[in-house]
Amino acid sequence: MNFDVIRAYMSKEFKELLRSRLILIVYILPTMIIILFGYGIRMEVTNARTLIIDNDNSKISRDLAERFHHSKYFDTVTVNAMSESEALNRIKQAKTDILVIIPASFEKRLLHRQKSEIGVFIDGAFPVRASTMENYVKGVIYNMAKSLHIQPKSLITINNRNLFNQAMRDEDAIVPGLIGLILLVAPAILSALLIVKEKEEGTIFNFFSSPIKKSEFIIAKLLPPLILHSVNIFILFLWATWLFEVPFRGSFLLYWIAAQIYILISLGVGLLVSIIASTQIVAIVLTIIITIIPGFLYSGMLMPISSMSGESKIEAHIYPVMYFNHIVYDTFLIGQGLDSPKNQLYLTILLFYALFLIFLGAWLMKKEIS
Amino acid sequence: MADLEVRNVTVVHRKTVAIKNASLGASESEIVGFIGADGAGKSSLMHAIAGVRRFEGEISFDGVVFGSPKEAEKLKPSIGLMPQGIGLVLYKNLTVSEHLSFFSKIRNLKENSTLDAYRHRLLKMAGLERFTERQAGKLSGGMMQKLSLICTLIHRPKLLILDEPTTGVDPLSRRELWEILEEIRENEGTIILMSTAYMQEAEKMDRVYLFDSGSIIASGTADELKKTVKKYVYSPVPCESKRCICTDRYTYSLDSLKAQHKKPTLEALFFVNALRRNVEIPPIKVSIRESTEPIAPVVMEAKGLTKRFGSFVANDHIDMELRSAEILGLLGANGAGKTTFIKMLLGLYPIDEGELTLFGKPIKSAKDRRSLKTRIGYVSQRFSLYKDMTVRENLLYFANMHNIDTQKASRRMERYAHELGFESYMDSFPKELPLGINQRFSIAAALLHEPVVLFLDEPTSGVDAIARSQFWQMLRLLKKRWGIAILITTHYMSEAEYCDRIVLLKEGKKIVDDKVENLHKKHPKAENFEDIFLHYYERNNEF
Repeated sequence: MNFDVIRAYMSKEFKELLRSRLILIVYILPTMIIILFGYGIRMEVTNARTLIIDNDNSKISRDLAERFHHSKYFDTVTVNAMSESEALNRIKQAKTDILVIIPASFEKRLLHRQKSEIGVFIDGAFPVRASTMENYVKGVIYNMAKSLHIQPKSLITINNRNLFNQAMRDEDAIVPGLIGLILLVAPAILSALLIVKEKEEGTIFNFFSSPIKKSEFIIAKLLPPLILHSVNIFILFLWATWLFEVPFRGSFLLYWIAAQIYILISLGVGLLVSIIASTQIVAIVLTIIITIIPGFLYSGMLMPISSMSGESKIEAHIYPVMYFNHIVYDTFLIGQGLDSPKNQLYLTILLFYALFLIFLGAWLMKKEIS
Repeated sequence: MADLEVRNVTVVHRKTVAIKNASLGASESEIVGFIGADGAGKSSLMHAIAGVRRFEGEISFDGVVFGSPKEAEKLKPSIGLMPQGIGLVLYKNLTVSEHLSFFSKIRNLKENSTLDAYRHRLLKMAGLERFTERQAGKLSGGMMQKLSLICTLIHRPKLLILDEPTTGVDPLSRRELWEILEEIRENEGTIILMSTAYMQEAEKMDRVYLFDSGSIIASGTADELKKTVKKYVYSPVPCESKRCICTDRYTYSLDSLKAQHKKPTLEALFFVNALRRNVEIPPIKVSIRESTEPIAPVVMEAKGLTKRFGSFVANDHIDMELRSAEILGLLGANGAGKTTFIKMLLGLYPIDEGELTLFGKPIKSAKDRRSLKTRIGYVSQRFSLYKDMTVRENLLYFANMHNIDTQKASRRMERYAHELGFESYMDSFPKELPLGINQRFSIAAALLHEPVVLFLDEPTSGVDAIARSQFWQMLRLLKKRWGIAILITTHYMSEAEYCDRIVLLKEGKKIVDDKVENLHKKHPKAENFEDIFLHYYERNNEF
């Protein structure tokens, strides 16, 4: 191994990255993703436009309307009389998201322990959003029923899961997962580009025709992205804890080591892509497809891995995303750290994953025109 | 003794045989030339010898025998390869001096005063001392090639492999490249393998190998090779049989003709070889235009045309006239402003200063041009064809762009394909076509709308001798039968002789504008146009 050769190549890479301004992408892209997705993905619904038709106008019905009114999840308008079809029309025109109809003699029937039916209509255009809103509405009604010591089931069928009171903050659920996504995508793109650029422009001949060893070339190509993206481990941490106010309960050292290993995995992916791709555009597209799709699906952001089954569970275990995200969520939200045998196991798996990918890439790369 | 021996080397590239059973030898201080058409296997053999491509057979150099790139690894410190393509091995945003230090380092050279002095000498030889801080992407083509060459020389290779280092390079830079090579082989005893498209260069080499369709078909000194075809070369007379080709200077015939014999050039090898292999070279035909619109005698007039890029003046007050039925050769070194000038005429660059009149109409704005676009045809340096569409689809697309009725367009397409000899390629993709065919089909695309003026920017770079001769036959016929004006740029000075008038640019200024025969009269001592070109370029700032 000749370190002068590696250094010469690396200093060339840094100069090129700076002069071609590619360096901006190295630092803007990750921040952009975390800010766009961190704010953009919202599972919770706030300020749902709610129309309450209070046909009863009693103490209890007014109390119910008040409860909606005082929740940050609803923007309520209460009317005492409006035809059902007119109200439904408002949903069709997308002027209202939720329609709650309190029937006449609601209070009377309730006090007599008679069954009463509250009509709830929800705009179902976005199913996920709709079911969230449905749960909120049920939560409000359930709460009220509880305070009146009434079995809610006799009032309205209510889902037993109470998502309402313990609603987790979206940021806490999403932002740590985004770190895993970004650290898989961005270093892979950069390392693939650094190699494929030489293939596309023809400067790869300098490697082919000189005595540089394959190992030296690969190290010289992977070290710059490793160094540059290592900084992103800290930048992303700052965004998560400072901008999105995600609590950090675990060991920073564990977070840092796991992220470094994870970047190595990403570099391995980039190296493999660079062997197949011969143009930079193909390299970018291929890397994005390979990294973003599993990075997103198996991140645990959309669906907890524990609730996956069958093929999806197997696939989740094949990709490295799950292992890293487990550790990241642990460090941010739980804080078991290295005491947890699962974290130890996952860290080991990640390390072998990284070594496997990089050695596979090194073995597949040929120092000749293919 | 550093001897090179290549024995029965075969290179297969994705199931097609690039070069078969090639054998050759070279010894110290020799310059060995590879000539042959595009795709004949020259580059593949060079890659095999440089140890960057897998091959069958055996190569020995400097006492080491190798049969694969892996085995060649230990020889790499003494081999230098400069692959084909202008500035291919350069990093566009590294400076000249950064290149030299990068190449010294990856070659693991000890930084000391000897290396420093050597680097200095190389920079001086290449005339780049003044440009050490300039980024490679901002150098002219000729400078890039010189920089590539000195970067390849930095570790003093004993075997230097150069793949068309002079293609697309102007005569002056070409001569300077040769001076470097001569000096290196003299002082270092380097073996130089070099492919070239310029036959005058091949004449200067110690031995020449002629490649054709994946094999070496002849070798020897230039004189020996020329001798082998001497009896087939005649003064131009019309041909009668299929075993005969007629160009404007020579007639090549396998059967003996009554005409007078003429001294052959190396180009004759290509023609005689094509005849021997029964390659059909269809004569180029051009029938008259469909449009009957008369063409004005002066189609374009430029007065004081100027283009600036920042503080750099690319074109400095150029006056030029383009007349109908005339082929105007626009010459100049790389970076003299030829392409910029053409782009200004076409409206691809805004004009900074000066007046332009096209077809008698003064051009002030883009609006003035719009109606004139149908009368202009343009073929750029890199033929702008869509590589995922067949030749036919490409031509139809261009016809549609010019609003030509489909029926009329396909009629014209068929006629051009037949006349220009690419009929059998109509349903192929551009990359499957030989360069020469590609070039003629690009011109056909530019002719579909029957323009009155045709701009051609280096259309012949890298195209082989036969295709070039057919190309010029086509241009002359276009001039004669269509009566249109043609403006062409080229680095082949032998082609300058085929033009009617020459305009020579130097550092953005026009320094010559005259008929070719007048220029020859003015310089009676010049053997060819290259001498005239160099004469003007060497005189420093006299104009």
